[in-house]
Amino acid sequence: MKKIYHNLVAGCCCLLILFCCNSTFAQTKKITGKVTSSENSEPVLGATVQVKGTSTGTVTDVNGAFSLSVPENATLVVSFVGFKPLEVTVGSSSSLDIKLESSASSLNELVVTGYTTQQRKEIVGAVSTVKAKELVAVPAGNAEQQLQGRVAGLTVLSSGQPGTTSLVRIRGFASFAGNEPLYIVDGVPTFSIENINSFDIETTTVLKDAGSASIYGARASAGVIVITTKRGNRGKLQVTYDGSYGWQNPGKGFKMLSPQETADYTWTALRNAGKVQANGNPIHAQYGNGVNAVLPDYILAGSESGVFEGNPAIDQNKYNVDFNKGPIYQIVRANKAGTDWYKEITRTAPIQQHSVGLSGGNDESRFYVGFGYYNQEGVVLNTYLRRYTIRANSEFTIHNRVRIGENIQIAYRDNPQLTNLNEGNAISLAYRMNPIIPVYDVNGGWAGTAAKGTNNPSNPVANQTRAKYNKGHAFGIFGNVYAEVDLFKDLTFRSSFGGGLFSFYANGINSKTYENSENIGNDQLYEAGGYGHSWTWTNTARYQHTFGIHDIKGLIGIEAIRDGAGRSINGTGLNPFTNSVNYRTLTTTQSSGRTVDSDGSPGNDIFSIFGKIDYTLMDKYLLSFVLRRDGSSNFGINNRYGTFPAISGGWRISQEDFLKNVSWINELKLRGGWGKMGNQRIDLNNQYNLYAASARFSAYAIDGSSTATFEGINKSRIGNPDGQWETNLTTNIGLDATLFNNSLDIIFDWYHKRTNDLLYGPELPATVGQVIYPTINVASMLNTGVDLQIIKRGNFGKNWRYEANLTLTTYKNEITKLAEGVDYFDGNSFGSSRIGTFTRNEVGHPISAFYGYRVIGLFQDENDVKNSPTQDGAGPGRFKYEDANGDKKITPDDRVFFGDPNPRLTSGLDLTIGYKGFDFNIFLYTVQGAKVINYTRWFTDFYPSFPGQAINADVKNSWTPQNTGAKIPIFEDVSNFSTNTQPNSYYMESGSYIRARNVQLSYTLPAFTSKTIGMEKLKVYVQTTNLFTITKYKGLDPGVSGVDTNFGVDYGNYPLTRQIILGVNAIF
Amino acid sequence: MKSNKAIIALISMAVVSVVVLYACKKSFLTRDPIGQLGDDDVATQKGVEELLIGAYAILDGNYNDFNWQSSTTNWVYGSIGGGDAHKGSDAGDQADVNPIERYESLPTNDYYNIKWKATYDGVARANNVLKALAKADVNEEDRPSLRAQARFLRGFYHLEAKKIWDKIPYVDESIDYVANNYKVANTEDAWPKIEADLKAAYDTLPALMSQVGRANKWAAAAFLAKAYMFQKKYAQAKPILEAIIASGTNPKGLKYGLETRYQDNYNAETKNGKESVFAVQASVNDGGGGANSNPGSILNFPHNSVGAPGGCCGFFQPTQELVNSFRTTAAGLPLLDGTYNQGANQVKSDFGVAATAPFTPDAGRLDPRLDWTVGRRGIPYLDWGLHPGISWIRDQSNGGPYSPKKNVYYKSQEKVLTDGSSWTNGLTAINYILVRYADVLLWAAECEVEIGSLEKTREYVNLVRARAKNQASWVMNGANPAANYVIDTYNTAFPDQATARKAVHMERKLELGMEGHRFFDLVRWGEASSTLNAYIAYESTIMGLLRGAKFTAPKNNYYPIPQRQIDLSATNGVSALEQNPDY
Repeated sequence: MKKIYHNLVAGCCCLLILFCCNSTFAQTKKITGKVTSSENSEPVLGATVQVKGTSTGTVTDVNGAFSLSVPENATLVVSFVGFKPLEVTVGSSSSLDIKLESSASSLNELVVTGYTTQQRKEIVGAVSTVKAKELVAVPAGNAEQQLQGRVAGLTVLSSGQPGTTSLVRIRGFASFAGNEPLYIVDGVPTFSIENINSFDIETTTVLKDAGSASIYGARASAGVIVITTKRGNRGKLQVTYDGSYGWQNPGKGFKMLSPQETADYTWTALRNAGKVQANGNPIHAQYGNGVNAVLPDYILAGSESGVFEGNPAIDQNKYNVDFNKGPIYQIVRANKAGTDWYKEITRTAPIQQHSVGLSGGNDESRFYVGFGYYNQEGVVLNTYLRRYTIRANSEFTIHNRVRIGENIQIAYRDNPQLTNLNEGNAISLAYRMNPIIPVYDVNGGWAGTAAKGTNNPSNPVANQTRAKYNKGHAFGIFGNVYAEVDLFKDLTFRSSFGGGLFSFYANGINSKTYENSENIGNDQLYEAGGYGHSWTWTNTARYQHTFGIHDIKGLIGIEAIRDGAGRSINGTGLNPFTNSVNYRTLTTTQSSGRTVDSDGSPGNDIFSIFGKIDYTLMDKYLLSFVLRRDGSSNFGINNRYGTFPAISGGWRISQEDFLKNVSWINELKLRGGWGKMGNQRIDLNNQYNLYAASARFSAYAIDGSSTATFEGINKSRIGNPDGQWETNLTTNIGLDATLFNNSLDIIFDWYHKRTNDLLYGPELPATVGQVIYPTINVASMLNTGVDLQIIKRGNFGKNWRYEANLTLTTYKNEITKLAEGVDYFDGNSFGSSRIGTFTRNEVGHPISAFYGYRVIGLFQDENDVKNSPTQDGAGPGRFKYEDANGDKKITPDDRVFFGDPNPRLTSGLDLTIGYKGFDFNIFLYTVQGAKVINYTRWFTDFYPSFPGQAINADVKNSWTPQNTGAKIPIFEDVSNFSTNTQPNSYYMESGSYIRARNVQLSYTLPAFTSKTIGMEKLKVYVQTTNLFTITKYKGLDPGVSGVDTNFGVDYGNYPLTRQIILGVNAIF
Repeated sequence: MKSNKAIIALISMAVVSVVVLYACKKSFLTRDPIGQLGDDDVATQKGVEELLIGAYAILDGNYNDFNWQSSTTNWVYGSIGGGDAHKGSDAGDQADVNPIERYESLPTNDYYNIKWKATYDGVARANNVLKALAKADVNEEDRPSLRAQARFLRGFYHLEAKKIWDKIPYVDESIDYVANNYKVANTEDAWPKIEADLKAAYDTLPALMSQVGRANKWAAAAFLAKAYMFQKKYAQAKPILEAIIASGTNPKGLKYGLETRYQDNYNAETKNGKESVFAVQASVNDGGGGANSNPGSILNFPHNSVGAPGGCCGFFQPTQELVNSFRTTAAGLPLLDGTYNQGANQVKSDFGVAATAPFTPDAGRLDPRLDWTVGRRGIPYLDWGLHPGISWIRDQSNGGPYSPKKNVYYKSQEKVLTDGSSWTNGLTAINYILVRYADVLLWAAECEVEIGSLEKTREYVNLVRARAKNQASWVMNGANPAANYVIDTYNTAFPDQATARKAVHMERKLELGMEGHRFFDLVRWGEASSTLNAYIAYESTIMGLLRGAKFTAPKNNYYPIPQRQIDLSATNGVSALEQNPDY
């Protein structure tokens, strides 16, 4: 067998050598040239100059100049965004003066698509691009956030936390898990682009339908975003600098009652519930027992709460907050003016970023090197992202026929975050802490809820300050090496090996506390570290040939992927001798109570073969076939392989004779396609029955020991060896039009995307035990929608120009099947609601729909209660629920779907108006028709939710027998079915908004002036992001994320806040 | 020609790579899990033994987090449901317990689902032992014991489900995902199969075992007796109980008996004493992050942790009615006529009394067990000093003035017998005793009431009371008793069966207060409706949250089968599970 391989290999090699020899004898010569705009003779920077039929090429420098070695009689293809591509025959000249005609049409731009590059006019799939300068318009620590509103069909839900990961969805949801798009960076697949400096990005292409994306079959079903980073230019060294510095304003926080009002409304709540003492008055640890609630002078003195000046407990000599010295004794003055906790946990935070790019090279070698520094302090104390990146891309040409290159990026980040969307994070604590509590006690110790009557939140300023030295470091290398060989004229072979290697390290402390009612009893140190790697080896052969009116491009490839392999370890330990940062190690913690865990993933392996044929007839009729076959280690041996075909076609109607003379149509193309894409993102253990030895849930002190256990094991997973590919069938119909002398582009797409064999792990009856249930191919889902992009550009007056770019995204998602006997599952995997989940995923409804009782009003009086359907806990001023089934009783059967977090429409409008060197840009982003559950209101609008916490100022307009028109229920200390214990529509608010993501004024120095100060180009700008948001949403930010099956619930969302930024772009 | 060499090299590499890739793609695409075992690994001696440990491990009801909802202590279903305690804390925290306390909860209440899941996880783990054992090559002399222990646990978990829901599916080792028979019906009475499991264990297991935490012959006997008691099969229960009393030992050969000190049953330092017939073993600082402690009681500590035990959350607050029950007559006997809730018989509390205002605890006669069962102001709270009253209570108007005590650790034990790896100190090494020897004695007393001699009844009850009478079992404040403890045995014969029955039932209430048994005792005696409605009538005069609540028999004799499980057991719209009547 071995011998056969040998012979085979040898044979192949010989054959290939023959091909090579055959074509290496062609002569080459060196040419130089300059590319300018035919309109104003300005040099065109960054134009691609390529030898037709090969991938030999270069990019023009700032002077529009290029040099290139070309074969004899070569034809050059010169292209650049905004210009019509031009073919130039080299002939005998060695210096070329090339004038490009402005097309101003995006239809002619070169687009990087799956494994290849195409002109937009050749594209038959649904493909969108984002310009590099649009991408970096709004600073963000993660390039994915910068895509928001830029691409029709792309939805981005993101919080304001530095370095946050967003929910990025292309055309809605195709699955219950694994809806993250696949990113292809310089040909290497990845699911995270958080370490990429967006200033290093050259092109961004979003592949939305099967026709364009199924070439990535295995993991394409959620769409693919193809990114290429900057390459070196031939010519003299070019240095670019992009820098900005700005300030982020936290804005206004929550509108809560003042301390006196809080006390007064506490009396209202207790009186309304009849909770009064023998003297007829309520009693409270802080507010006394009088007719009116009275604020004390001190909320805490030793063990006494609610004390007044003169009380002997207010004894400074007894004060102690050092555990080692003895019992804690705090004296905390009441803050009668009220603490604005949001203000206390936030600050005006600086944001800056600096990027330097160096680019240069010659015929033999070219390089791009980028350095990036990004430092965003969060508006919440001690949240920040510091990221350092280095990118080094280079390419070498060997004897014109072979190109070898690499793209590599090294990134380091330090990014401590708070747990977003959580009732215990600093944002949530800001609306939970009673304003009477000051931040500090009388001696500068922390103040908190140790004072009775203030319930159990914890001082968020103390928490964030104690966490100051907690670190979350990550280090990552990502990139590839590749070699390309032009085997003969039309055939290019390419091999690329790439991937990523990352490591992370986190350490910190959860400090022991003294100031709260529910204190943390120990200093707990944690340290965690791990590494991971992934790699992809891709081998492709590209063929391109024109036979008269037939143009054929072909691609075949073979690819092996390992994704997500790695290991991690984490440990905890308690109570080191001191908390000082440099003393903290697990070794220095006390010997008992240490824990250590480690875990790993063998990685997901994928093996693929794929091919693509693009056929163009008479430059009018376009046809494209794609076929990919993937095998994945995520599936059992029975169903490991999936095949993903796609076919699409296009008709450039404008090329037809009958339209040739219609002058206002520059380009009109009808596109359509059908195809199949796959998703295999299930747990790679899904195929196995597994058992685990868990120190937590299967170990047991069978010998009666109080401090040690015996190892035990329990079944951890039921396997499904028959699992197979989730497939998604997409039909896409699109229209591209360029009209009115290239001043108007319209790109329209309609799609219908059905996911079959959707992988879903239905909950099983408890009789099978508490194991991880097998994921099986049972569910299905349907998405339909329309993507629309309209670009209008032009001039008015002599020196004025404008460009408007509008994107519109709609989608409709519907779950069409779950499993036999399973009609729904609740979204309780994420966030934390104390009254059960608000979201339900049910057949016939969109993903993450809001479910519960619909509030149809408030009971107005006892008669109203009597005449309404029977409802537990009903009473005047309480919620009146809809009797959905009309049985005159409110039961769980009356719960309905009352809202949907999926927006009906999202849209971005980018408008630039220019006058000479000035450009004014405004980017508006809007979400319409989305709903948000403002779960924070459960804490702030209902007294018994957590009595003694802060109260929303809105309760001033709560229901009373006199204020019967109120929407807010009666303020009372009663917790029952009709008050605060059920998920219902009261919490739902409109999540629609219009936001000015960016408003920017820039000035570019005239070329002459900048040259006199030694620069090719100099642009300065001032910008403000999130200048205004128009919304009815009462929380901090309606852009509430989550997970696919449970999003749009505001459990305490880190808001996006306003930034003011000064910046400069310079080219040397 | 240099480039040709490069080309040749590259192409050769490419071709080789393609061939190599293709050749090894089969193994390339098989990735074994990390840190997990497969079916074959566990069908071995070691595998079966450790699966069995895993089946014991969920005795605490803790399957994936600190699942206080499913705690085997049954603090919600047995004690709160039985009128021993209020949910406590403030009204909104764990609001799902409010309707349980008011007997008006819906089948959709998540507490029931969590309890169901934990209980049936226990069943599944026991069955997994049996499944692996059937395939495993184990020492033949070990096989019977391994099998019997698994059957004991399976019987135990089903018994737990049975007393809560009555109509339960019985799941044995033939039930399997692959066999697609896991939607098990609950139409057949599970008692015979529960009895069969426990009887097999009783018949097979030896008295002496390698470790004290294992079920031995006598533990099996106790649960078999318990199963009989729940069916009023006194004739079957009586001889087994007598055998336990006569010769029962724990797995280490320690003969069963009552602890001299009542409080030693609730102390991690004296765990697995002679009174512990079968217990959930709790351990801390063992690398398990507190999950092997007594996690079901994590919420059940005084609120406000400066100088107080735990660190959370002020739940599980004893009722005034329970406290009053400890009132004794001049003869040191309980007020069997129920007048303890009347007038001056009621025990004085600090309800509504500010922390700074003076307060003197009740000076009347009390059963000393009160102060091991209930934390109340002015009485030493273990070694934490005097209970300070309202400043340890989260919201008196919602939970009343009392704190739980039996699950609380001593200050001297903090960080030694409490787990430090979590935010709270309220994860303790205190065992929860599932069957205490006192429990056995009182069951035996019940049997005597129903089918035996009233004198024998008195003898058993007095054994229990005599221990409480011993000053070693009293709470002391310095050298003096912390309160006016007056307790004695029944020194005259019971006049009639009804009085004897009342005395036994009352004794169980007092002896086992706050231990999760009350509700189930009331139901099996058929007294739930009358007793609990009387309790509501009294307690709601103090606690607004019970106002208007009503216990409806037979509906409320059992808790509703979780709607989620009914839904999950459906095939073509018809569920294998039937709901309990009237839900």
